[in-house]
Amino acid sequence: MSAVRAALQRRRPRAEGAGAWLAAGCVALSLLLLGALLLLIAVRGLGHFWPASVSLVELDDGRRLAGRAVRELPLPDGEGRERLYFTGNRGLDGQVWHWLPVARIVAESRPRDLVVLERRRWGDFIGRLVAVEPAPDAVAAGAGNGATAWAQLEARLAALERLREARDTLQRETIRPLARRLEADPGDGEARRALAAATARAARLRAAMDETILVLESVDGRRLRQPLDEVLAARRPNALSTWEKLAAWMQGVWRFLSEGPSAANSAGGVWPAIFGTVLMVLVMSLLVTPFGVLAAFYLNEVAHQGRLTRLVRIAVRNLAGVPSIVYGVFGLGVFVYGLGGTLDEWFFSDALPTPTFGTGGLLWASLTLALLTLPVVIVASEEGLARIPDHQREGALALGATRLEMLGRVVLPMAVPAMLTGVILAIARAAGEVVPLMLVGVAKLAPQIPVDGDFPFLHLDRKFMHLGYHIYGAAFHGDDVQAAMPLVFATALLLVLVILVLNLTAIFLRHHVSTRHAAPSRR
Amino acid sequence: MSGSRHLAWLLLAGLLALLATGVRAEAVGTLGAMGSDTLAGLMLRWGEELTERHPGIRLQLQASGSASAPPALTAGTVRLGPMSRPMRKAERAAFVARHGYPPVEIEVARDALTVVVHRHHPLEALDRETLDAIFSRTRRCGAQQAITRWEQLGLDELTGRIELHGRNLTSGTYGLFRQRALCGGEYRHTLNEHPGSAAVVAAVGETRSAIGYAGLNHLTASVKALALVDAEGGLHRPDPEAVRRGDYPLSRSLYLYLNLPPGEPLPGPERAFLDLVLSPAGQASVTALGFVALPEATLVSQRRRLGLAPLPHD
Amino acid sequence: MNLPSEAPPSRTRWRHRRDRLATGLIAAGGIGVILAVLAIGVFLVVEVVPALAGGGLAVERLHATLTPLAWGTLKAAFWALLFALPLALGAAMHSALFMSPRLRTRLKPALELMEALPGVVIGFVAGLVLAPWVERHLAVAALLLVTLPLGALLAGALWRWLPVALRRCLPLAWAGLWLVPWLVLLGWGAVALAPPLEGLLFGGDLRAWLDAELGLHYAARNALIVGLAMGFAVLPSVYALAEEALAGVPSGLTEGAQALGATRWQALWRVVLPAAAPGLLAAVMIGAGRAVGETLIVLLASGNTALMSLSPLEGMRSLAASIAIELPEAAPGSPDYHLLLLAALALFAFTFLVNTLAELVRTRLRHRYHRLGGAP
Repeated sequence: MSAVRAALQRRRPRAEGAGAWLAAGCVALSLLLLGALLLLIAVRGLGHFWPASVSLVELDDGRRLAGRAVRELPLPDGEGRERLYFTGNRGLDGQVWHWLPVARIVAESRPRDLVVLERRRWGDFIGRLVAVEPAPDAVAAGAGNGATAWAQLEARLAALERLREARDTLQRETIRPLARRLEADPGDGEARRALAAATARAARLRAAMDETILVLESVDGRRLRQPLDEVLAARRPNALSTWEKLAAWMQGVWRFLSEGPSAANSAGGVWPAIFGTVLMVLVMSLLVTPFGVLAAFYLNEVAHQGRLTRLVRIAVRNLAGVPSIVYGVFGLGVFVYGLGGTLDEWFFSDALPTPTFGTGGLLWASLTLALLTLPVVIVASEEGLARIPDHQREGALALGATRLEMLGRVVLPMAVPAMLTGVILAIARAAGEVVPLMLVGVAKLAPQIPVDGDFPFLHLDRKFMHLGYHIYGAAFHGDDVQAAMPLVFATALLLVLVILVLNLTAIFLRHHVSTRHAAPSRR
Repeated sequence: MSGSRHLAWLLLAGLLALLATGVRAEAVGTLGAMGSDTLAGLMLRWGEELTERHPGIRLQLQASGSASAPPALTAGTVRLGPMSRPMRKAERAAFVARHGYPPVEIEVARDALTVVVHRHHPLEALDRETLDAIFSRTRRCGAQQAITRWEQLGLDELTGRIELHGRNLTSGTYGLFRQRALCGGEYRHTLNEHPGSAAVVAAVGETRSAIGYAGLNHLTASVKALALVDAEGGLHRPDPEAVRRGDYPLSRSLYLYLNLPPGEPLPGPERAFLDLVLSPAGQASVTALGFVALPEATLVSQRRRLGLAPLPHD
Repeated sequence: MNLPSEAPPSRTRWRHRRDRLATGLIAAGGIGVILAVLAIGVFLVVEVVPALAGGGLAVERLHATLTPLAWGTLKAAFWALLFALPLALGAAMHSALFMSPRLRTRLKPALELMEALPGVVIGFVAGLVLAPWVERHLAVAALLLVTLPLGALLAGALWRWLPVALRRCLPLAWAGLWLVPWLVLLGWGAVALAPPLEGLLFGGDLRAWLDAELGLHYAARNALIVGLAMGFAVLPSVYALAEEALAGVPSGLTEGAQALGATRWQALWRVVLPAAAPGLLAAVMIGAGRAVGETLIVLLASGNTALMSLSPLEGMRSLAASIAIELPEAAPGSPDYHLLLLAALALFAFTFLVNTLAELVRTRLRHRYHRLGGAP
């Protein structure tokens, strides 16, 4: 008996005990949570652009609805389930969502002729296209069948797109500059005449756009006349093949990245937010790099290495752990109200009481975030400096270099990669930081991006949009959380991707640096 | 000598140009507006349409709450202040003290606060005392007993504690609901304060034991808006018609305040903007965003007061 | 070679003057930057103290407003740490002592990425996805909380009985990775098993049961959700510091213990942990500092109820969240403004103090390791 036991024990390895397995479980659980979060964001974010099929649902009382099934939940009494459909047609129903008990659905089909129109004013339309007016040829208006009407619609949309482009060009290149000239000098008769002519041309273009009317019909038979000008995109999702859907998906991703938001930020793209985030981060890194490096040089190379310096170093390190909201409060109190108010009094007093810099804006947001990330850059740069062996410095000095020359020609080049790592980490931190921005200059919707053709081209006083704040705004401040959710997930995915790429760059750089510099410094 | 001839030619040319563009000079400029975030979507929509009609005009909007409008108007930061509540006496007094005249108040749309519950909630209507007893700890509207559980309302299907959802302290919605529905009392400490109305609706739509309040334009199919019972037992549903008539007790007007010295005509950009807002097209945007459009009589009288051209009747 | 002695004296003088000038500039700039960074505390004190001293803030009001907020902040931080500390410390122990070095070099960047995830993303997922899901599937969530740790133990118990070949494929050194699918499997099992269990034990509705039997109210946005979300955010930084402290313990200590017959776990528990305890304490403090100051997660997932309740199933409101939503609308100079600034000062003072302590402890520890003849 005991021999068997001994044999068994010999075969089994020595137990590490429960603790070791619990600890391993902690690692696994952390990874699992991280993976689950990333997967959730990726799936929901990318799924948003897939042109989902539209079903035609018939209820037992004869009602008919067309829409996209979004989610399904059990009914509160525990019997049966209900399904949420996105049905669009806010103008007809006053509502874009419908919860339907699954048990009451008698038939569900996916007719190929259902169209989904993305409209500027009333959101999506889901239903059938009856006719396009005025009819281009002999076909009588209203009598055209769905297929020919669809072909016409596609042609008209393309024509409309050209008209829109012409109008935008006119607006951007002629009317805006003229309006600015007139704002500066209201007596400029020539500009006024040119403006009048351009406005007339814009009105003609607009009239041409207003011409086409779509006759639409919801699946329960209500008719609707829709000016084509309001239509942003049209699609027949049930008639698309998988490849066409993929193409539509890619087009959706592109529009998301390149267009501005619409429908009070609950739809449309995030281009201004991307632009704002990148610009803010750029300005911030321009501010933080020299100052951070300067402070690191002072702390490590110039200052007397005494008790005071050590204390300062600890304090600076700790500031990295101070909550970002505190930096936001500081930015608001000191930069916006303090510095901004003073600047306004000195330089923009003719514009007062309209604040120019005395309100949140790009400059103050960048400055606040620069302050927030300074400790990161200082610490990373200092680490880089400390890694440089002293004999390098001593050698340079022994050869007769002054301290400046030693720092500039020997120490700085060796420390550059570490500093770069610090700056990239700072950028990654700043890109994801939303809280201070809520206080110092982010806007839910800034119609003007901070860079344009107006002198001085970069408007540091303007408010800007930010990806992180866009998430917060769309998810909690919009009109309809359910409708905004896909967009929020897509934006979150984009933000996470940006930060991942930045962090990976920093990690790569650090790795690269440590393998290049480790050998000479350690021994 | 030749200078005056040039001048004459210029004048003539200018006159001709004016005639060619329909006598009225095209308005240009930037409109600054600051105030309510309830109105933000609507203002932006109007701004878009304005730029489309008058390409030389742009609207710059800052939406950080109704409370931010009066100081900005008083300081002269902006000329337009959208607000989701009327100006308070103190705010008005501060404006008068600075400028010497009161701001022009323009009603631009109507809205209502609705009391919302989960879509499968058994309740259909509430009276004022009960509503107050649910939301407030002061019970100023006259209820005898605090209500913290659904059983207390005699509901069979639903038991458990009532979960309260509302807006945060600084929002106009928070203040309005407190003033109208709680008779000016204090909220319970258990109120979940959300940063936006959409978040309130989303939270209520997920929980059967929840109740909350939100603007009419935030309603979705996941929640049900309760009717309110008045002292005589009449039911008031928050439908657009009732709100337009002013029958629904928690309805409110949305305003635009304008800094305009008395006797002075409206400047071009402001005129163009108000002309749009107080037109059928502008009011169609109001409906499209889920608010309630103004009755025509109000439109007509306000246009007259502002010296805008009368509505084209067709 | 242009030796300095051959250079004309005027040029040398110029070089030296330039050098002194530049050094001065660097010093001035560096001191300026450091002062600017340190100005945060000064600004808050300067703004708040006169208002407090001048009676601009009534004490009762201060008390009534700030007490629930301070309570909520600490409550959120407590639950976040309760969730994050075991996970982070456990993960640190595993990766410092058991994990294969190859996996470790991969794991560290992964957890660094986790630290970089923006609070707004975590907060929105917690508030709009996790909170409603947990509310609908309360029993599943409760069961998951029990199953997952037990699952790791179960894996350990089963592992000893595996055939040798399989055991070699699934070494403890890589357990952090191969346990993931196992936990997913268990989680799926819990999801499937929860509804019948709930029916059996709690009459089909855990929420109603809690309410009826224990008098506990379950709010959808509660301290547990916040703790989970914020714990997720705090975990990586605690892990990084704890791992550093554990890995820094001179290997001689562990090897000695093992030579005397201790298992690796015993060596860890009896030798490494006591040696690294100050470092772990520092990690915990840094984690606490982060949890106290985290703003958006609490704002989006807590419901912002100004409650002072002990129950983890109810919400709270934190200092940072209040500042974030109310400060933009407080007029500068008003009592509200000063009140919020005071809240910011409290946050600043707390985090700065805690971080300084942690930093001091870490410095002391590094010296100790140095004395013991370990790594740097």
